Amino acid sequence: MTMNQRKIIELEEGWDFMQNGITKLKRILEGLPEPQFSSEEYMMLYTTIYNMCTQKPPNDYSQQLYEKYKEAFEEYISSSVLPSLREKHDEFMLRELVKRWPNHKVMVRWLSRFFHYLDRYFIARRSLPALNEVGLTCFRDQVYQELKGKVRDAVIALIDQEREGEQIDRALLKNVLDLFVEIGMGQMVDYENDFEDDMLKDSASYYSRKASNWIVEDSCPDYMLKAEQCLKKERDRVSHYLHSSSEQKLVEKVQNELLVVYSTQLLEKEHSGCRVLLRDDKVEDLSRMYRLFHKIPKGLEPIANIFKQHITAEGTALVQQAEDAAGNKGCSYGLYVQVLTSIAPQAESAVGSLEQVFVRKVIELHDKYMAYVNDCFANHSLFHKALKEAFEVFCNKNVSGCSSAELLASFCDNILKKGGVEKLSDEAIEDTLDKVVKLLAYISDKDLFAEFYRKKLSRRLLFDKSANDDHERLILTKLKQQCGGQFTSKMEGMVTDLTLAKENQNHFEEYLGKNPNANPGIDLTVTVLTTGFWPSYKSSDLSLPVEMVKCVEVFKEFYQTKTKHRRLSWIYSLGTCNINGKFEQKTIELIVGTYQAAALLLFNASDRLSYSDIKTQLNLADDDLVRLLQSLSCAKYKILTKEPNSRTVTPSDLFEFNPKFTDRMRRIRVRDALSLSLSLICTVSGVILEDSNRSIVHQIPLPPVDERKRVVEDVDKDRRYAIDASIVRIMKSRKVLGHQQLVMECVEQLSRMFKPDFKAIKKRIEDLITRDYLERDKDNPNLFRYLA
Amino acid sequence: MALRRGARFALRGVGLGRKALSEKAALQALKASNWHLEGAFDVFYSQTQVKPYADTRRVEELYNRYKDPYVDMILVDGITLLCNDLQVDPQDIVMLVLSWHMKAATMCEFSKEEFIGGLQALGIDSLEKLRDRIQLMRSELKDEQKFREIYGFAFGWAKEKGQKSLALDTAIGMWQLLFEAKHWPLVDHWCQFLQARHNKAISRDTWSQLLEFARMVDPMLSNYDAEGAWPYLIDEFVEYLNENGIIKKGHLNDWS
Repeated sequence: MTMNQRKIIELEEGWDFMQNGITKLKRILEGLPEPQFSSEEYMMLYTTIYNMCTQKPPNDYSQQLYEKYKEAFEEYISSSVLPSLREKHDEFMLRELVKRWPNHKVMVRWLSRFFHYLDRYFIARRSLPALNEVGLTCFRDQVYQELKGKVRDAVIALIDQEREGEQIDRALLKNVLDLFVEIGMGQMVDYENDFEDDMLKDSASYYSRKASNWIVEDSCPDYMLKAEQCLKKERDRVSHYLHSSSEQKLVEKVQNELLVVYSTQLLEKEHSGCRVLLRDDKVEDLSRMYRLFHKIPKGLEPIANIFKQHITAEGTALVQQAEDAAGNKGCSYGLYVQVLTSIAPQAESAVGSLEQVFVRKVIELHDKYMAYVNDCFANHSLFHKALKEAFEVFCNKNVSGCSSAELLASFCDNILKKGGVEKLSDEAIEDTLDKVVKLLAYISDKDLFAEFYRKKLSRRLLFDKSANDDHERLILTKLKQQCGGQFTSKMEGMVTDLTLAKENQNHFEEYLGKNPNANPGIDLTVTVLTTGFWPSYKSSDLSLPVEMVKCVEVFKEFYQTKTKHRRLSWIYSLGTCNINGKFEQKTIELIVGTYQAAALLLFNASDRLSYSDIKTQLNLADDDLVRLLQSLSCAKYKILTKEPNSRTVTPSDLFEFNPKFTDRMRRIRVRDALSLSLSLICTVSGVILEDSNRSIVHQIPLPPVDERKRVVEDVDKDRRYAIDASIVRIMKSRKVLGHQQLVMECVEQLSRMFKPDFKAIKKRIEDLITRDYLERDKDNPNLFRYLA
Repeated sequence: MALRRGARFALRGVGLGRKALSEKAALQALKASNWHLEGAFDVFYSQTQVKPYADTRRVEELYNRYKDPYVDMILVDGITLLCNDLQVDPQDIVMLVLSWHMKAATMCEFSKEEFIGGLQALGIDSLEKLRDRIQLMRSELKDEQKFREIYGFAFGWAKEKGQKSLALDTAIGMWQLLFEAKHWPLVDHWCQFLQARHNKAISRDTWSQLLEFARMVDPMLSNYDAEGAWPYLIDEFVEYLNENGIIKKGHLNDWS
């Protein structure tokens, strides 16, 4: 009821009262002497508005007051704010602005409190902009819109000054830029459109100018140093006064101008580019290069590419060096081995050192660039890939007729055998083996390596040349880890065979002890091997001398007691005999192969034998026999004399024991033209014959035949099976498959062992079609079907 | 019974409309399909492929004329006589077409079943009819689909029994014969290539794919795809053509 009695306040009357309050507020803002608002004054102002808004129409002045509220700001801005800003420029204008803006916010705060009642009902009901918003919008529409261009230019000018090394008022900029953010009232569009866009454009053109000079004047490392500094400074700038959302955009702009635009020019700089840095081992610069470019999309690709080319070139140079070294000796590597080995025993190690040097160097190269990948290039997969691809290129080249698979196998042999080229500590050996196995990963013909490795391993094991059993097993473990159990199963079988053979020998000796009647009177050592694990050796029907036949019989009998179901086949070519040769001057112990021993023992019965006598008695083929007799009569140790005394053996020759033979050594090894290359199921590894009448004994080594060809042929055959098996496996699961896909899957499956070529796969597919495993689809010849 | 009569009538109508058919044949068809009209149409039409009736006795007489005196089949001598009677060169490709019709298992011989069954199926019971038919057979080679079938048939027909592949000489002879009809310009190069580089028997796959190759790949090899599933022998042939400059920039340099 009291409301009705209240006196109506007319608009003009009420507004006059409000105007007083507003004037006081302005004076306070302008810094003129004026006491603060008391709570009474404030209450009166609020109440006036309340009353004027709660009068019954037509005396409800809400609408008018809402408009007057806005006018109050507009009036103040046009009379005081704008004039003071307009008269100032650049930094001074900025300073004024950062003073005026907080002032305005204070004004909005107070006035919106006086008019607060409008917010509660009038504005809320009509969904009008709130008082606070109206207040800020006034500033935005009148001040900001007019000045934003000037402000932006002034800010950018200051930033550029700072880039040029001048000191600037960072706090000022910070405040100005806050205004750009605040004026958006929660939105970033004003900051972005009115400032950031131009700032980014300016930064781009600034660095574009800089870069175009630097790229000409500076070396690649200097340029990168500058670029890195610039990027750091720009990040700094963001953290000090720009809005954090600008960091990514700004950095990208700068990166683009400094790095992306000049990427090729920079990396390819003739006297300081990426290649030169790699060549000169500039590790620090390379790390910087990585740091700079890894943030750029695809930025690392050209670097990885140069890295790959560089390693490929270095590796290829190593191959060339090895090639030249072999070439200097006047003959191809393969031939070189043969010639030298037949001249002097140490020749093999001389050749060995060639591959040794090569593989060592490749390992060093790998160590070096692996370190680059780890240290400079942060283990990035792109660089691992580059390294891998580079090594795959030159590791699969032939070095003077030798495949790298063979070189690597020989290298391992040198490390693992007794008296190898290098004298290394156990750790060094382990480390080296580790690295060799890593290199193997780059070689596509892993099966070829396995085959050569097995050949060499068999030699180490059978001739007791392996230096250390633990190392043998260690490398097999490593190979197994890398290439899978199938890869090493045969090799492991070989090592195990040897252990079993030693036990077996002990049992055999026990057996002989218990059965003195059985004792053949000759020390006999037999190594029983499992077929399949070992390389295949040639066996022949050599007629053994009686003494040896007895040995073989005794062992067979012994073996029967252990197992009934196994068949022994003897590989005489791998056996050795120690024979005492009683020559006129002295008795000499000769270490010879089983074949040679058999031939020599014939001369216990007759003084003089013709070629054909020997041939009949030994039951040997001509080529074997010629080589054998050559080793005994034409080589270094002439234990037999030959008639006529020529350098080659012919079927018409006659042979006689040479009692005048002598040598300053008590023990000698006789080399024969065919060497320790052949083998099969069970071998007699040592038959020691004592002959009382005349002792002739020797280890007569035989020069190597072209083993390489055989190994390669064996591997080729295995590959055919492997491809067949792979195709059948794939087709069995897929039933129907397109040609292209079948080839791809086949390559994929086999790539762990070797890289089959497309032609070979095609041939195998056709062969399988002929054998009714597959058929072509009737309508689409590119499609194959599996025939179950 | 009424149904039967109706069916009989309907079928005879069709027969008359197409190709005066004896009532007897129509009846047979009806009986074979157990008097169901639709089934009878099927039976009837499948037989009409076989039609002109051949007198078994006269076919047998023909067979006996060519039969080997010692074995119950026609051998080289019989075939030579047959060719004489037909006035056809034994090397004529039409003999292959004839063999195809007779489903002959092997070149230069017909078993009794093949000869008699074949002639009956063709509806031929006299030399005159066969001679007339030979001309027709020549034109069958021009039919793409039939040529394919004949080409495929030729492999099994020409190879030695028990062998999986075809001896090179025979294969080359057959190819020259077959592709003469087809005018494949590379056939001589192909044969020279095989003799120079391959010199081994030809697998069925290579045999059948060569026809595809001749059909699909134009003689300039412009649409040849080295990544395709062509047998390796064909790939090598293409290499050979390129190496020897036989195919150069889309021209066939025919020096042979």
